[in-house]
Amino acid sequence: MSATIRNGQIEVVAVTKTYHPGAPPAVDNLDLRIDHGSYCCLLGPSGCGKTTILRMIAGHETPTEGDILIGGRNVTNLPPVERGTAMMFQSYALFPHRSVLDNVAFALKMRGVSRADRNARARELLQKVHLEAFANRLPAQLSGGQQQRVALARALITNPRVLLLDEPLSALDEYLRLRMRGELRRVQRELGITFIHVTHTQLEAIAVADTVVVMAQGKIEQAASARDIFLAPRNAYVTRFIGGQNVISGAVERVSGATATAVTGTGARIELPVAELRVQPGEQIFGSLRRDRIRVRRQDAGPPPRDLINALSGEVHAIENQGSYVKVTIDAGDGEEFVANVLDEDFFLDPIDIGGRVVATWAARDVRLLEDRRSQPSGAVVAAA
Amino acid sequence: MRTASGKRPWTFYMLAAFFTLFVLFLYGPMTVIYVLSFQGPNGGLTFPMNGFSTQWFNELVQPGRSGDIAGSFRRSLLLAAIVTVLTVLICVAAGLGFRRRFRGAAVLFYLVIASLVMPGIFVGLGISLGFQLMDMQTDWLVSGLGAQLTWTLPFGLLVMFAVIGRFNRSYEEAARDLGASAWQRMREVTLPILLPGIIGVGLFGFTLSYDEFARTVLTAGSENTLPLEIWAMTTNVTSPALFAVGTVTTVISFFVIVIGLGSIALIQRRRGHNVASH
Repeated sequence: MSATIRNGQIEVVAVTKTYHPGAPPAVDNLDLRIDHGSYCCLLGPSGCGKTTILRMIAGHETPTEGDILIGGRNVTNLPPVERGTAMMFQSYALFPHRSVLDNVAFALKMRGVSRADRNARARELLQKVHLEAFANRLPAQLSGGQQQRVALARALITNPRVLLLDEPLSALDEYLRLRMRGELRRVQRELGITFIHVTHTQLEAIAVADTVVVMAQGKIEQAASARDIFLAPRNAYVTRFIGGQNVISGAVERVSGATATAVTGTGARIELPVAELRVQPGEQIFGSLRRDRIRVRRQDAGPPPRDLINALSGEVHAIENQGSYVKVTIDAGDGEEFVANVLDEDFFLDPIDIGGRVVATWAARDVRLLEDRRSQPSGAVVAAA
Repeated sequence: MRTASGKRPWTFYMLAAFFTLFVLFLYGPMTVIYVLSFQGPNGGLTFPMNGFSTQWFNELVQPGRSGDIAGSFRRSLLLAAIVTVLTVLICVAAGLGFRRRFRGAAVLFYLVIASLVMPGIFVGLGISLGFQLMDMQTDWLVSGLGAQLTWTLPFGLLVMFAVIGRFNRSYEEAARDLGASAWQRMREVTLPILLPGIIGVGLFGFTLSYDEFARTVLTAGSENTLPLEIWAMTTNVTSPALFAVGTVTTVISFFVIVIGLGSIALIQRRRGHNVASH
């Protein structure tokens, strides 16, 4: 095959998909580019359009508007078999009436390859996923993890340039899920083809992907490297959805240099880096704050320390031991979830109980400004300003 | 079910008694017929048994003695076979077709189902009148076949809906993804996966046709199917040969059902549905 055919670069150009006229589109004027040979995760809550995108790339769904390009060629109206893609279905869709070997060899049988040739190739692939001993079994006789590997072998037998995976790990138990996601990443590296993986699990996306695309309501909220998605979410939606950071917000009180001081809904003062951005006093601005960079201490009797900056006081709402750290959820009284991930050794030096009053403090450098803005000053802002 | 003290509530005994009565009512009369069909040569239509013989079965195969049992049996089997094949072909095609929500699908569906609600005897009457109007002779292979299809097709379609309702369409998508053409998908994936259900549709078609009376009685023409022949016998045959017919037809129905359900069970077992998945 020539180099151009092997190119698994995906371009989604201004694609809209509407299922019912008048209803909001499942995918809304979306643009996306995925480099050849990269591992991309489409991440979002159910109904955000991520599976629709995947199915349109696979050719199982036609865009209402817009184009899909693979390797520079417009494939919008091509059937799946002419796209050089292969799809791994949610819960695998292994044919229940065919043996593992026949399942894997199916695509070659459809292409008219002789029985001996296709079986030899299928055995080769089964060997790769360590299932050669199960060739004559039926899918129902395999465990969930084995079924997943059969599905992978079946999809790879045509040497696709793009592998599309629809929630590939959701049918597995936790232990297998963690093992198989590492396995998927390894296979992708080995083959050097493009993987597009749909999931609603944040940590799964960040663990396997080069690029994570966070979606909501048919649109892309952010497309960035896994590290950036986690460390530098663009807006409050992505920050809340990924969950590694808290969203803090306040009305701008004053700006000095690159730092704005804002007053939160509960009257605490926080600093946010605004760089060259012009912000108006009274404007509501938002920031993300890393949960693992927050210190939590007991609040001594008496009123909360109003004069402290970059601090927040509240009641401990929940405590979850995560092994290497403890997740402390603090109810600060403004409705926004505020979580501090406290290192286990620090936490257990002086354990805090649910209902205890605490003060959380952080350094201004661990806060990043989010794109969200609200110019309308709220009642609390007017009072503070 | 037991209460905490281990004693069964009084409703258990009530329902158990009711169920026993039901089973007696269901199988009692049939059992009497099976026993009486082995009545001795000088025995009558009722108990007591006057010896034991198989002479009434012999009488069935000799034409003339008690109507044309052998001929009507052959006709009924042939008719049921044709009805089965047509029911399977039409219902599978219709069931697959109804998966697309085309315009007027609901109206079409109710049109088909409506013939289940109409009294069968009037369906038969209507068909025979229609044949008269067109100056055609009613015949079991023509008007009789049509009349039976008005009964088996809606039933078969309902069964097919249930079968297809459980069919996961991602099998077809996977096949398409792997390069199967529409015909290859149908042959290699859809039909084999639906096969147990399709056998069920055929089984329905066969037993409904083999037993059919109301729609057939006015449309069979000059030659009788088996149920019509038996009906005629009840009025003019006064020997236990009547019971022998009952025993023979029961055995045949039983074998058809065993073969049908047995093949479904075999297919399911081959697919490993009984094997633990972990």
